[in-house]
Amino acid sequence: MDLRAGDSWGMLACLCTVLWHLPAVPALNRTGDLGPGPSIQKTYDLTRYLEHQLRSLAGTYLNYLGPPFNEPDFNPPRLGAETLPRATVDLEVWRSLNDKLRLTQNYEAYSHLLCYLRGLNRQAATAELRRSLAHFCTSLQGLLGSIAGVMAALGYPLPQPLPGTEPTWTPGPAHSDFLQKMDDFWLLKELQTWLWRSAKDFNRLKKKMQPPAAAVTLHLGAHGF
Amino acid sequence: MALFEVFQTTFFLTLLSLRTYQSEVLAERVPLTPVSLKVSTNSARQSLHLQWTVQNLPYHQELKMVFQIQISRIETSNVIWVGNYSTTVKWNQVLHWSWESELPLECATHFVRIKSVVDDARFPEPNFWSNWSSWEEVSGKETSTERLKKPCKVTTPLSVQDSLGQDILFVFPKDKLVEEGANVTICYISRNIQNNVSCYWEGKQIYGEQLDPHVSVFHLSSVPFIRKTGADMYCEVSQGNVSTSIKGIVLFVSKVLEEPKDFSCETRDFKTLHCTWDPGVDTALGWSKQPSQSYTLFESFSGEKKLCTHQNWCNWQITQDSQETYNFTLIAENYLRKRSVNILFNLTHQVYPMNPFSVNFENVNATNAIMTWKVYSVKNNFTYLCQIEVYCEGKMKQQYNVSIKMNGEYFLSDLEPFTEYMARVRCAGASHFWKWSQWSGQNFTTLEAAPSEAPDVWRNVNSEPGSHIVTLFWKPLSKLHANGKILFYNVVVENLDKPSKSELHSVPAPAKSTKLTLDRHSYEIWVTANNSVGASPASIIVISADPENQEVEEERIADTEGRFSLSWKPQPGDVVGYVVDWCDHPQYTLCDLQWKNVGPNATSTVISTDAFRPGVRYNFRIYGLSTKRIACLLEKKTGYSQELAPSDNPHMLVDKLTSHSFTLSWKYYSTESQPGFIQGYHVYLKSKARQCHPRFERAVLTDGSECCKYKIDNPEEKALIVDNLKPKSVYEIFVTPFTSAGEGPNATFTKVTTPDEHSSMLIYILLPMSFCVLLIMIGCYLKSQWIKETCYPDIPDPYKSSILSLIKFKEKPHLTIMNVSDCIPDAIEVVSKPEGTKIQFRKSLTETELTKPNYLYLLPTEKNHSGPVPFICFENLTYNQATSDSGSCGHVPVPMKPPPSQLGLMISPENVKKALGKNYMNSLGEISAGGTNLNYVSQLASPMSGDKDSLPTNPVEPSNCSEYKRQMAVPLCLASPPLTENSSLSSITLLNPGEHYR
Repeated sequence: MDLRAGDSWGMLACLCTVLWHLPAVPALNRTGDLGPGPSIQKTYDLTRYLEHQLRSLAGTYLNYLGPPFNEPDFNPPRLGAETLPRATVDLEVWRSLNDKLRLTQNYEAYSHLLCYLRGLNRQAATAELRRSLAHFCTSLQGLLGSIAGVMAALGYPLPQPLPGTEPTWTPGPAHSDFLQKMDDFWLLKELQTWLWRSAKDFNRLKKKMQPPAAAVTLHLGAHGF
Repeated sequence: MALFEVFQTTFFLTLLSLRTYQSEVLAERVPLTPVSLKVSTNSARQSLHLQWTVQNLPYHQELKMVFQIQISRIETSNVIWVGNYSTTVKWNQVLHWSWESELPLECATHFVRIKSVVDDARFPEPNFWSNWSSWEEVSGKETSTERLKKPCKVTTPLSVQDSLGQDILFVFPKDKLVEEGANVTICYISRNIQNNVSCYWEGKQIYGEQLDPHVSVFHLSSVPFIRKTGADMYCEVSQGNVSTSIKGIVLFVSKVLEEPKDFSCETRDFKTLHCTWDPGVDTALGWSKQPSQSYTLFESFSGEKKLCTHQNWCNWQITQDSQETYNFTLIAENYLRKRSVNILFNLTHQVYPMNPFSVNFENVNATNAIMTWKVYSVKNNFTYLCQIEVYCEGKMKQQYNVSIKMNGEYFLSDLEPFTEYMARVRCAGASHFWKWSQWSGQNFTTLEAAPSEAPDVWRNVNSEPGSHIVTLFWKPLSKLHANGKILFYNVVVENLDKPSKSELHSVPAPAKSTKLTLDRHSYEIWVTANNSVGASPASIIVISADPENQEVEEERIADTEGRFSLSWKPQPGDVVGYVVDWCDHPQYTLCDLQWKNVGPNATSTVISTDAFRPGVRYNFRIYGLSTKRIACLLEKKTGYSQELAPSDNPHMLVDKLTSHSFTLSWKYYSTESQPGFIQGYHVYLKSKARQCHPRFERAVLTDGSECCKYKIDNPEEKALIVDNLKPKSVYEIFVTPFTSAGEGPNATFTKVTTPDEHSSMLIYILLPMSFCVLLIMIGCYLKSQWIKETCYPDIPDPYKSSILSLIKFKEKPHLTIMNVSDCIPDAIEVVSKPEGTKIQFRKSLTETELTKPNYLYLLPTEKNHSGPVPFICFENLTYNQATSDSGSCGHVPVPMKPPPSQLGLMISPENVKKALGKNYMNSLGEISAGGTNLNYVSQLASPMSGDKDSLPTNPVEPSNCSEYKRQMAVPLCLASPPLTENSSLSSITLLNPGEHYR
């Protein structure tokens, strides 16, 4: 079997998902003395990896769409694609969010984006592109699991989708092909922005969750006696 | 009869009704006007669909009519299309007609009206057009209202917005699928004419034509296929540099569907037809806009149809055994086009047989075999044409065609013994060739046979006293002639001169030679090669009793670049052929003898092998073979396949060196073992003279230096007298041989220096003179007593004095010599002699100790010296006379207490020198200032002189003040001034020893 580097990352992402769900299991929860720090670090790492992976995927996919979508200076107004979760938020608003809200927004955003991304995968005409998209979806699924793990570790409940609001893929009659291409463009762009934002969120959370240095010193002193 | 009457009645009634109708229409002249015109649109097809009825058409009547349709755009007066539509109209019929617009219907409002005229032969002219119907308006905006549906719908309290209703920009048509090369018209509608709208096609801005203030139109002609995901055309509204709205369409351009090529069907088993074709380009597009073209097989005789699942082949099941002829139509289809190809064939003509099997060989012997095979039975009485090919070593040797039913068999003949063959077979339908099956093959090997040809034998004879050493060589038989594996060679030797029993020597293969020692008789030798089946014909060679004639002159052959062209004079008498032999590796002991047989009429041949190497000398011998198979040496040739320059230079000897000439020689240089024929030698001579010597010419060496060159054309001339040289000069000389390829390697020149011209003459003079002097000296030694007495006696005899004779002769001829006995001495004066002086000196020295003569105190006495030290003062008789009376040694008193260390330094001769040097300047100054005289101090041999570095703390006691060394002038103040650092040793040179002794 041909195992690529990306595939191994995908497996890693799945593994992370499983690992992050482990603390939620009551029987195993007793051993989680390390706190949420390592899991936040891993989530942060996975986010950075996805950023890197998306850069390559977006290049391929936008070339597949053709101009103007693959032109570097193409910056259309965001018309259509209203259902895509927006990653851009005012700085003050963003700062005012608490950890729970941030994590919830991240989780919800990636849940939606994953759904749209799978739709993208179904439409792709070339096998190679389909493979890349499937691989990215697996990685994104892993990230979603990681976020869920962090939330569980921090004691936040997972956002429950309202009945009927679960994002689902409906292949029905497509609207304008140009708008559909535009949606794809915005999907990739939002994904990029969300990943960037998530990296900052997890970095911030990671720093916040680090134990204070004084406590460490005290601990070491006590150990010495 | 009754039936005829009924038919006649009906005919008349019909005719009557027609006349009645005609009279009505013509009489009333009521126009048949189109009414109830309704226009609908198909946005995707950009078509207007019209439907109407015709008013006033009689009941149950049909009438041919022509309808004229007018279409206007934007306003009714702007008619863009007028056309007629002819059709037969029935009573109460709703008529339909469509018109396709090149401009998307959403881009502008269209108006349609229609009028009609009867165009029926039953109604003669004149006919009149009806009135126009009223204009029917088709608004562009109406067609553009459509809701967007998202692929991922999120059911939220808010419903999906109708985006187009609020947008400020529209681009039409929405998405479009066209074929490559089509012309496409696109428009945009801007809600606000103030907006700055820019449009782009595939990333490049395009400019359209303005249809009205809100609408602009773009014509794209002959659009190419760009990509499967379509080409994008979009427009954006921008305010400043910010894009406020963007709308676009994706134009899906499909490649043109090609007609399937090479469509054919065949069967292998009469159960399935396998049809194949070349589909050409795939016209599939992305986003499921258009899948790949589909292919359908339709058989017209059976009326059956099958949708093919593959793009280039399809299987058709043969259900009816009786159907022999098939008419297939292959239909290729996509959304835009349909293409088809047709073939008609007889099933038995399209047979592609299964591969033959069970290929075997029976009764295989040395030259033939029987090949058998089988084919699958597909139909009764079906005949196959089979093709057989026989290969040997990858080359096809034989090919046969044979017709069979089921079991094939063929007799393969003319095969070579002991040879591996590969035979293969393939089959096709015999009645109508369609296609060969794949090959089925098998290998087989024929049996051995006796070798078919005598081995090629040659010999080399070395004559020794009383015998011949004959070495027989033979070449292995070729595979073609060996007919099997050669096991051994039989050599039979028969004496021709005296009847005796033949000798048989069996030499096992793969030996290629054998050595025989034969006496001085003629012998006939048979050589045969043998394999497991039998022996080859014998090769016969005769060794003559006479030794081989070696006195044949060797001839050189020219350089022929890897090939030797040899020619010889024809042998008188009958010859059966010629043999040329040579060694491939003449430089080795096992030289690998080769030979070539040449026909009796040939007088030349070319020897060419890969074994020839440049720079190797090859010797060829040409023999004539008599009818008695005796070889006779005719000629010898020698040559190089390629001559090279000599690899080394001769060792040069310089001989007979004189002041004007010398002789060079290199007599040990071998010209035979060189990589080319030595043609001569170049002698290079370098000298300081600008002009070259006679016979030499000026040449430039490879290093650029100039010299003189002399060329010797005879390779055996290995000496050269170089003359006309200058005495006492240096010459550099270098000898190198040359072949046709060039000179030998560069080497260093040997220097030769010619001797002085007069040196020999001096030898001639000096030797006798020396001899004479030696004789005189020996004579003098032997007669020394006599000479002494004669020339310089200890007591000269006055009578023998020549002076006496001279005086006597010149002044006082009567003067006589006075005798000692005649005188009464009153005083004796002793004349001082050197020996006497010395004795006197020692004597006076002894006396000084007793009489305390005047002496000079050289060094002062120190406190630590307990008693007076016996300092020795040498009386200087030359200078003491004036001061001896004053009780001193005649010295000016010197300071009595100089530092001991200084004193020590002064005692050492080295230190004295140093002191002299260091204090010289000061000393001079003091001398001049004080105006004192020089004192003379005797210099003593210091016991410390060997230890220069250690300074004695005490003054040295010159215990053996016995030898008078040398007197030196020392300034008076020498001992007193301290040593200064800046004093210099070099100043000692200012003291000239000559000045010290006055």
